[in-house]
Amino acid sequence: MRVLAWAYLLAMFGFILLPVVVLIVFSFQDSRLPVPPFDGPTLRWYAEIIADRALMEALMNSLLVALISSAVALVLGFLAASGLARVLLPGSALIRGVLIAPMTVSYLIIALGLLQMFNAVGLRPSLVATGIGHVVINLPLCFAIIYASMGEHQKNAMRAARDLGAAEWQVLWHVSAPMLLPSLAAAFFLAFTFSWDEFIIAFLLTRFDVTLPVEIWSMLRSGLSPATNAVGSIVFLVSVAIVLVLELTLFRRRGA
Amino acid sequence: MTADVSLQGIEHRFAGFTALHRVDLKIAAGEFVVLLGPSGCGKTTLLSIIGGFLTPSEGQVLIGARDMTQVPPKDRPTTTMFQDYALFPHMSLRDNVGFGLRMRGAGRAVRNDKADAMLEMVGLAAQAGRRPHELSGGQRQRVALARALAVEPDVLLLDEPLGALDLKLRRQMQDELKAIQRRVGTAFVHVTHDQEEAMAIADRIVVMNQGRVEQAGSPEDVYLRPATLFSAGFMGEMNRIPATPDGDGVTTPLGHLPLPPQRGTLCLRPENVGLRGDLRLGPARMIEASFFGAHHRCHFAPLAAPDMILTANLPQGAVPERGAEVQLFATDPVILSETAQ
Repeated sequence: MRVLAWAYLLAMFGFILLPVVVLIVFSFQDSRLPVPPFDGPTLRWYAEIIADRALMEALMNSLLVALISSAVALVLGFLAASGLARVLLPGSALIRGVLIAPMTVSYLIIALGLLQMFNAVGLRPSLVATGIGHVVINLPLCFAIIYASMGEHQKNAMRAARDLGAAEWQVLWHVSAPMLLPSLAAAFFLAFTFSWDEFIIAFLLTRFDVTLPVEIWSMLRSGLSPATNAVGSIVFLVSVAIVLVLELTLFRRRGA
Repeated sequence: MTADVSLQGIEHRFAGFTALHRVDLKIAAGEFVVLLGPSGCGKTTLLSIIGGFLTPSEGQVLIGARDMTQVPPKDRPTTTMFQDYALFPHMSLRDNVGFGLRMRGAGRAVRNDKADAMLEMVGLAAQAGRRPHELSGGQRQRVALARALAVEPDVLLLDEPLGALDLKLRRQMQDELKAIQRRVGTAFVHVTHDQEEAMAIADRIVVMNQGRVEQAGSPEDVYLRPATLFSAGFMGEMNRIPATPDGDGVTTPLGHLPLPPQRGTLCLRPENVGLRGDLRLGPARMIEASFFGAHHRCHFAPLAAPDMILTANLPQGAVPERGAEVQLFATDPVILSETAQ
């Protein structure tokens, strides 16, 4: 029984991780195609992509879009959650629902909607447009995480701060934000990884300056190469690093 | 540094339910007032209205003769000590206590001095650098008190602050609250549903029921001379005997008693029923007795009304045999009519 359980666990991990392992292994492939047999390790593909100006620019663009759009989504989500926690409006449940609703809509639909809307207002496809798109998908996420972590305790502390003479911005800055720090960080890093990995919206809403997933897509169109594997490995590494940081700092402390 | 509070015709309605019915109440500067009543009587609503967390549907809140009805909590000369203390978990005790002064623009040195002085007053000076989670419940309580008093409010509002403490600690905190109130001279408005706590700390008790003030008076007044049946019953155990006027006295199931003629309920506290006193209740048979430490709690069946049970608290050692027939007497009788206001 025990052996079976371990076998199941291994099979599951294999299923989840094998594609990534294959990707990483063939990024070290010492021949022109990332397919078996494995021809021995080399770092030349990594050297090649680091020397690739367009690719590095796309990487910087991605970092920039992810940082700014996550920060904006975080601030807006925090303000929305604080507002809804403070007052009990007749439509509170509806407002919450509408705020979270975009999470259920596919990125493709959101991207199409944004594309048409930006056309109408004359905003050209660009990194700014993509950033706005990422705020649209990450705001509901940030709101949901922050709102869920606001308990009675939090609300009472906010009341106490007001009672002691704090203006609304002081309540948010001195009391709410520090008390919610773990959830704020969790929301920010999740939003960051979602934006970092996001393809469809970026694909439809960028033109000349593109984000990394879009650049990888155009590399793929000229055929498979271990270089794409190398880029993919770097993207994966960044995501893993963020998740690890989260796991080690925030969630461990909360568990203790 | 303290002002009187005047509540005029306060009415408050929540959706489909009236929590307060035209309440009028004056709180003198420096007074320790306790709002006492069962849950749902409107006492916490009234406190929230004084603190500015609720705006009454009708009526006015005056603090120091200024109309505060529409003023938000942050601009009122009131502070609140919350039921769950609501300390800021990410700040040291010193920063917690200094928070109000910081919001008023005081510099670090000024507010730290004041915070240390306040912590000194509540006996936590040595822990000023700690965080709230390192403290016991009673200590958090003291920090909450120090924080609320640090801004020198005209009125301190206390929302059932002792509810979460065990009995022994609660007694101790009651004494401390009263001592600190005397020292700082700020008016305290304290909400509780515990009548012993109310009597222990109040200068004046305001008994509330179903959104109305039943009685307001000193603890002695409210306990010994209750104005209504509700207030009599809420302040402690009571024997209730129906009475109807008859000539120069009243008729009761126990017989004719020489009391002011009035229709209503004769109320006798168990400790005011015994083997001697001013008012003769007649012969009764002892049914049951149990020892409570400070007194014996005894049940008597009057011979004139064998179905009625009178409860009497008799002094230690002065207990008749079970089944014995004795003459019962009473002191401090009060007759309250059903509609007494």
